[in-house]
Amino acid sequence: MPTTRPHIVVEDLCIGWGTRVLMEHVTFDIERGTTFAILGGSGSGKSTLLRYLIGLEEPRAGRIDIDGVGQPHRYQGIPAFGVLFQSGALFSSMTLAENLALPLTTWTPIRGATVRDLVQAKLELVGLGPFAEHLPGEISGGMKKRAGIARAMMLEPDLLFFDEPSAGLDPISAVELDELIVTLSRDLGITIVIVTHELPSIFLVAHQCIVLDKIAKGIVAQGDPRALREESKIPFVHNFFTRSSPGASASPGR
Amino acid sequence: MTITVRTEREGDRARLVPVGAFDVAHAPAVAQAVAQVPPDLEGCRSIDLDLTHLDRIDGSGAVLLARFLDRLDFDGDRTRIVADRNPEAARLITLYRQKRAESAPPPTRAMGLLATIGAAAADLPARITDTLDFTGRCIAALPKIITSPRSVDWHSLPRLVQEIGADALPVTSSANLLVGVIIGFLGVSQLGRFGAVVYVPELVVVAHFRELGPLVTAIVVAGRSGAGLASEIATMKVSEEIDALRSMKFDPMMWLVVPRCLALVLVVPLLTWVGDALALVGGLLATVAITDLTPRAYILATMDAITPSHFFGGLVKTPFLALAIGLIACAQGLATQGGAAAVGARTTTAVVLAIFGVIAINSLFTLLYVAMGV
Repeated sequence: MPTTRPHIVVEDLCIGWGTRVLMEHVTFDIERGTTFAILGGSGSGKSTLLRYLIGLEEPRAGRIDIDGVGQPHRYQGIPAFGVLFQSGALFSSMTLAENLALPLTTWTPIRGATVRDLVQAKLELVGLGPFAEHLPGEISGGMKKRAGIARAMMLEPDLLFFDEPSAGLDPISAVELDELIVTLSRDLGITIVIVTHELPSIFLVAHQCIVLDKIAKGIVAQGDPRALREESKIPFVHNFFTRSSPGASASPGR
Repeated sequence: MTITVRTEREGDRARLVPVGAFDVAHAPAVAQAVAQVPPDLEGCRSIDLDLTHLDRIDGSGAVLLARFLDRLDFDGDRTRIVADRNPEAARLITLYRQKRAESAPPPTRAMGLLATIGAAAADLPARITDTLDFTGRCIAALPKIITSPRSVDWHSLPRLVQEIGADALPVTSSANLLVGVIIGFLGVSQLGRFGAVVYVPELVVVAHFRELGPLVTAIVVAGRSGAGLASEIATMKVSEEIDALRSMKFDPMMWLVVPRCLALVLVVPLLTWVGDALALVGGLLATVAITDLTPRAYILATMDAITPSHFFGGLVKTPFLALAIGLIACAQGLATQGGAAAVGARTTTAVVLAIFGVIAINSLFTLLYVAMGV
């Protein structure tokens, strides 16, 4: 599975509107098959960076290149990656099954019973088997996120983007979601890019990460999150990884 | 590239060999290939799935194979995946197996036509009491404006007056102008047959001031601001802003509904008044254009025709029409439940009800005036 070419290359990316520069000189690679976390405090531009990665915005300068897609904002073909939005972004007028079937019936010639089989299998994969005929309004926030993941996976992409997957979930649901992400990455070999600030989740799922900072207007640290927690000398990064990390100061028993 | 599932049999053992690309791009062919297998397998006790000859497999291909194995298992066969040469594919197929649903909560939808009609009829009393309840609570809230004026969002009032009133001025004015032109033409063509063109100014005044001015203005406002207010409040409801207000002990009735209704009650009479004036201009233009009545004669006749009873008879109704628009739009907005689709549905209902309500109330006033002999 590992190839020499990274799955995503970001080079000298500059993000901003008008005279305001939010981020500049952002450069990083994401290796194929790994789980990559984009970290940072509130307002550091994590979610904005994600919007550029998935091609909703055109970079002001610099380059984003996704293997097999090219520059995401120019890409016109069949969706090559799946995206989970913060709220799940399910279409509220459709049942879960209809939400999941939409990419299949739009982009592939698959019809009828095969669509039903594929949709049901994906729902069961995320633990929502019994809820196919429910409307998004009738299920909980965590279930919406899982349904969103299932929908993002319908076209079997080798790349998934998650925007704050565990935000607003109870610890058990959050862990379940993390386990699902690990499963997807390990068993399906999918490259996963996660925007988050949930530390436990980062250490569980992420192989590599970047840390963004509002004041530095870009990346202040990158690497293995576990290594950054132990070794980073940059105060912001050190604080980010340790302040709310269990074991840093509060629990002497561990 | 062909996609098939080859079958090899030895006694009561069978070996299934999927060949080709089992992925989402080829899913229809995969489904077909899998569907063609079963008839050969009768009498087999043990079935092996050999993944050596797969060119490619992804989740969708794995699902179709997993379902196939599930079916065989269900029929009492013993299936086994030969994974030695392709462990990734085997893992993928296993991932999609044994995930059968627990007990499914029954979805409650898909009513027949009769059931739908029945449910709608059964809902009707509740809808009527809801409307009355809303109106009642609104009226009950009125004294609170004086006792606790801070529970009303007064800061939004200028913005609302701007949006509902000033921004609507071009469209209500031009609508009234055109209606004036229409009455003018109608009057000339009908009264002209009796040589009574001199009565056209009076017709325009009476018809427009008493009935059409308030009605046309209110219908335009109902369509425009009715939709705007209903969708704004519905979106607030859906995105939990209303809940947030209530949690902070703001009464949405006071905070949202009162300023909106107040803004409507303030601006609709003004819009109607401007509309009335423009309708006179419209009537003038129409009459002068196609008859030899002079503008001066028209204006003098108009000034004679305008009486306080015509003028105020029309304007008196407008606050009630405005209130109806505001109450209907806000009630529909606050009743929204669900997501984006519900916002659209409630907005549509609000506009339909507001336009109908405006016409109904106007008719009531007309009956009342006739009965009173005004």
